[in-house]
Amino acid sequence: MPLGPAFSVLRNRTAVVEELRRLLPKMEGARKAAPIPFGLPAIDRYLPQGGLPGGALHEIVPEQDTLAAAFGFVVALLAGFASVRTLFFVIPAYGLRRYGRLYGHGVSALGLDPNRLLLVETAQRQDTLWAIEEALHSRAPAAVVGVTDKLDLRLSQRLQHAATDAGLPLFLLRPAEILQSSAAATRWRVGELPAARDRFGLIARARWRLMLERCRNGRAGEWMVEYDHVAHRFSLAAALADPALPRDANQKSIQQAG
Amino acid sequence: MNEAAETAGLVPGVPLADARAKALDLQVRAIDAAIDNAALRRLALWATRYTPTASPWSAENGADGFFLDVEGAAHLFGGEEALLADLSARLQKNFGLPARIAIASTPGAAWALSRFHAARNFILPGGHEAEALSPLRIEALRLSPGTCTTLRRLGFKTIGALIDKPRAPFAARFPAELLRRLDQALGRLDEPLVPIVAPPVYHSLRYFLEPIITQEAVIALARRLMQTLTRVLMRDGAGARALRLSLYRLDGAVETVDVALTLPTRNVAHVARLLDLKLEAQSAMDDAGFGFEAIGLAITRAEPMPAKQAEFDIRHRPEFAGTSATLFGADFRRATPDNESIERCAALIDTLRQRLGPHSVRWFTPVASHIPERAEALLPVSTSNAATLKATAAAEPEQNPRPLLMLPRAEPTEVMALIPDGPPRRFRWRGETYEVTGAQGPERIASEWWRNSDGHRSIEPTRDYYLVEDAGGHRFWLYREGLYERETAAARWFVQGLFA
Repeated sequence: MPLGPAFSVLRNRTAVVEELRRLLPKMEGARKAAPIPFGLPAIDRYLPQGGLPGGALHEIVPEQDTLAAAFGFVVALLAGFASVRTLFFVIPAYGLRRYGRLYGHGVSALGLDPNRLLLVETAQRQDTLWAIEEALHSRAPAAVVGVTDKLDLRLSQRLQHAATDAGLPLFLLRPAEILQSSAAATRWRVGELPAARDRFGLIARARWRLMLERCRNGRAGEWMVEYDHVAHRFSLAAALADPALPRDANQKSIQQAG
Repeated sequence: MNEAAETAGLVPGVPLADARAKALDLQVRAIDAAIDNAALRRLALWATRYTPTASPWSAENGADGFFLDVEGAAHLFGGEEALLADLSARLQKNFGLPARIAIASTPGAAWALSRFHAARNFILPGGHEAEALSPLRIEALRLSPGTCTTLRRLGFKTIGALIDKPRAPFAARFPAELLRRLDQALGRLDEPLVPIVAPPVYHSLRYFLEPIITQEAVIALARRLMQTLTRVLMRDGAGARALRLSLYRLDGAVETVDVALTLPTRNVAHVARLLDLKLEAQSAMDDAGFGFEAIGLAITRAEPMPAKQAEFDIRHRPEFAGTSATLFGADFRRATPDNESIERCAALIDTLRQRLGPHSVRWFTPVASHIPERAEALLPVSTSNAATLKATAAAEPEQNPRPLLMLPRAEPTEVMALIPDGPPRRFRWRGETYEVTGAQGPERIASEWWRNSDGHRSIEPTRDYYLVEDAGGHRFWLYREGLYERETAAARWFVQGLFA
């Protein structure tokens, strides 16, 4: 690796660390896929690649026993992800009965064209994981979204490899009480917040609490965001953002970044 | 009747008592036409190993044999004599059937010769039908018994007596079948065969010296068959939309595996993989018996498929990544990324459907309806609507709030409201109580009266929808069913959806 010349021009320690941050993911082979930006500088600059790594496994964990906010977060992310290719949603049948099924008009209300979605319904967990892996291997979709309750380290490594090889993002929604450790690039915990209202008191924008619990080559963080489906844009929830942002050790870096 | 019975001097039509007197150890079974027919069907299916067009005889042909159209297939077995010998030997060995077989240019002549010619196996060269049929009895024409009796009484004993007679008197005095059958036997009139399975567009077959048993071997051979078919498909600019793999078991049974594709394909690897998954799902290999002696791959439906270079999967191999554009010039990149991703999508859908079932992959289709649960349908991506993979019909955007998740069916809930037709203040759902901090609505959706014009169904009550938010930020879609005092005395509440 041509590390030598890169280092020679660097003077101070922080610059070396920054450079390493930039180089390390490339050595891991994650360079093929472009990162998925939030379009929200506060979060994008916080993430090591300036967005969610494109060819990687991302876990989305709901705060409560409902998938509405988690699905909303994924749909919102994919709506902003510029591509016309198909998106595969692999959802087990038992999950549909319990959490409800995706509603096309609701998907479109969040700014994503429901015609791009293909729903794959599976009967059992093995089928779900198999379908996810098949979808990744085929490289046909722009992204794969799956719902599964249990996932151990080995399975998550396997999915992470598949996602890296394919250069496609895989979002795994995990409505689970106990989370085993996993090889995912990031883990987000998504919770619902009272929505932003317009001046007539009507619900205008959905608000979520995003907790970045794990991030490879990065740090944990927490944000309150609102999503504007008309502009396809995330923004920090103004009234609530300030008290939630500082998180002891991260405070300084966030201020730097922001 | 078997051979032993024939040597004992028995013929059909003899009373049972007489037959018993002639052969003391005679075994008698009642005729079961259904079982006979099924057995004949199985036999004809087995015979598709020789040619795709096998047609079991209907009742008017005697229902005790089948036609094979060996035109263009005989040379594969080393000529008609060799095919006949092979067929005869296999029928004897596999099924214990001492068959009478004839090859002729018309089904009628073949039928007549197989029944009434002195030789057991007989091949009639084309153009000699009249001479060959002349000495045969008139029964060889497949006429109804009544017509035969009348002809006999008039002195027409052989076909030869009929051939050169003037046609007009026969046409006037006999049913139309006489001249029709005569013409069919002599090749003056066409007799279409009804094949047992739809004849495939393309067909490829392979025989083995040793029977094969394992699934890997079957797939490896199917792959080779597909390769030979691909060449023909390329020549014709066609792709396969439906395939059938036939496994001919050593004991005569035939297993078939059908595979349908979302888009026409010539991709060998893709077809092999689909067959592999389907074999697994059907567990067709569980009952291989002593193994398979032949494998046939047929394309039952083909569609035009423009020639392009996409079959070379070279671009997806890492060692060629990046170099392909310069190696093959700009021409190589003719397939737009969009088309290519559609093809890959279709391949993926095929794969998923083989294992998860034909209805497992679905997409949203908007439906013109105001009732939310009817406003869209989840339709399986089927071969018929696959073309719309390309087209994106823009759904009419809904101005009112619509939930991201819909419950499979609206769940009843207990609601406390300040006024009977006001928004909810508190509700209980799935064992938890939610305090409502903000409610938005109502959005009134009345029943679709035009649907109920038949009078069979009762009019559905009007619904008032509320978007409701609780203190924790959960957003629900609730509705009250029925208008107070007009439609109902006690309105019921339901939770129908969840907002993000």
